[in-house]
Amino acid sequence: MEAVPPGRDPGQEWPFESSLIRPYSLTGGRTRPSRSDFSMTSQVVAVPSVSREQVDPEVELILSLCARPVSVVEVASRSGFPLGVVRILLADLLDQGYVMVHTSNWERRRPDAGTLRSVLERIQQL
Amino acid sequence: MGAEGAGPVPDTLKIVIAGGFGAGKTTLVSAVSEVESLHTEEVMTSESVGVDDLDGVEGKATTTVALDFGRITLDGSTVVYLFGTPGQRRFSFMWEELAEGALGAVVLADTRRLTDSFDVIDFFESRGVPFVVAVNCFDGQRTHRADDVRVALDVEDRVPLLLCDARDRDSVKEVLTELVSLVLRLELSGA
Repeated sequence: MEAVPPGRDPGQEWPFESSLIRPYSLTGGRTRPSRSDFSMTSQVVAVPSVSREQVDPEVELILSLCARPVSVVEVASRSGFPLGVVRILLADLLDQGYVMVHTSNWERRRPDAGTLRSVLERIQQL
Repeated sequence: MGAEGAGPVPDTLKIVIAGGFGAGKTTLVSAVSEVESLHTEEVMTSESVGVDDLDGVEGKATTTVALDFGRITLDGSTVVYLFGTPGQRRFSFMWEELAEGALGAVVLADTRRLTDSFDVIDFFESRGVPFVVAVNCFDGQRTHRADDVRVALDVEDRVPLLLCDARDRDSVKEVLTELVSLVLRLELSGA
């Protein structure tokens, strides 16, 4: 287990290697998540005040990005990791009870007319 | 669910913007997104990559697809995401994922390369994803007639087709309004 380097500001972007190898080494070479709960727009949020073991700095970064509900794809964008890697790491964090995930019902069925009208109104206001 | 102190968890809607290279997807998303257009990458590795075989990841065939996206928040409870995706068939693995649960799609056509749009139009039709075709007129001159483009693309009359300027917020609002209105009509008609 890699220790978090001293003096690191949580949330600060960490100069990760841009190579493909580094992100996939975080996943132990896995290219698929342990579960399929995460769509790109699923919202993830770190479970507050859970004491946890020391984690890799990359995982710590992901957890810090989920302090508030945020989409999987935004975690990928802000961390700079490929989406696939983020999904695998988030699946692990979900297994460990460190994050919660919420996938909108609208991923499964079309939104109701009222919601669609709200979307239209919002577009007009842009 | 709710994480105390972490704020409400919003429901999300997804709109796909599909277009060929240089068709103006990122420009369109940026024109209406409340945040600067965000960017991530998805790496597609060939099926044969062994799960424990780290050496394989770099050596095996991989396709990297850039994914630009933006966000429009309705209120605290609903967020609409706009995803730009390349329209070429070799990126169809992204279409699959993006089409899943999508509210609808905009096919952003480039009149210089209309044929780039054929595959993705076929795809959305076959998946039953509601879509509109928006023809990006870069030069700001609407020199193309929508009817001509419709014929060239062989798009059915029931599919809305309009000319747009992806740089112009009002124009993009018109495109999105057309799409969401289409979805609303489908919902109201029980289709």
